[in-house]
Amino acid sequence: MKVRIRESGQVTIVGISGKLMGGADADTFRDLVHQLIESGKKKVLIDLAGVKWVNSTGVGILITGYTTMRRNKGDLKLLNVSNKIQSILYVTKLNLIFECFDDQDEAIASFS
Amino acid sequence: MTSSIVLEFPSSYEWLNLVDLVCCELTCETGNFSKADLNDISISVIEACTNALEHGNMSNPELNVRVVFRRHPDHLEVEVSDFGEGFDFEEFLQNIPDPSDIEHQRGRGIYIMKEMMDSLEFEKLPERGMKVILRKNTNGSRKTGD
Repeated sequence: MKVRIRESGQVTIVGISGKLMGGADADTFRDLVHQLIESGKKKVLIDLAGVKWVNSTGVGILITGYTTMRRNKGDLKLLNVSNKIQSILYVTKLNLIFECFDDQDEAIASFS
Repeated sequence: MTSSIVLEFPSSYEWLNLVDLVCCELTCETGNFSKADLNDISISVIEACTNALEHGNMSNPELNVRVVFRRHPDHLEVEVSDFGEGFDFEEFLQNIPDPSDIEHQRGRGIYIMKEMMDSLEFEKLPERGMKVILRKNTNGSRKTGD
């Protein structure tokens, strides 16, 4: 998993590419979420456009990020969710938890 | 007529690309599966493989994961075997956590496979390891939405 961070106003956009499948990815993502919270960045948009591989463990990593953000009065939303990730979210009913967007501007506006 | 393809690879994520390619090739080639079916099969087979390498083989690269694809006229069957100590799947099957419970980071893999495939079976191998058998019918019997 590779991570690229950029800012758009108050929103931090975390671009993830490669695979999102557990193992070291879980530690990397957990550390990243904690760093963002510590630096006061609590409006986080995860851009999944570059994710080629995901499994239930990868979705679990996103859930941990979501719950950690919410416990710290922040929010975490998803951008560019592939059909495969959408299928996993739908089957597990996590589509009712995560806000997902196809349009970056719309996603950023939703935080305000 | 039934045709089979066998893949055997060390317990490493890098080989899942090959598994997915074969999966796509087999399902696309028949023309009998919808795009949604193709997604279901791909997700479920990758899920079974990651379970095999993580929980079955405990990520030991000296232990292989074996995947057998069997294309039948009316369904695709995929067997995924590990050769490790494995885990107590019978106990796990009786206690599958609510997949929408956000307090659980893990434990959704088997639920996803059960929902996306038409059948899912587990078999303990004679010496050590476990085999998961996934089947998807070609009649468009997708159980889940797009």
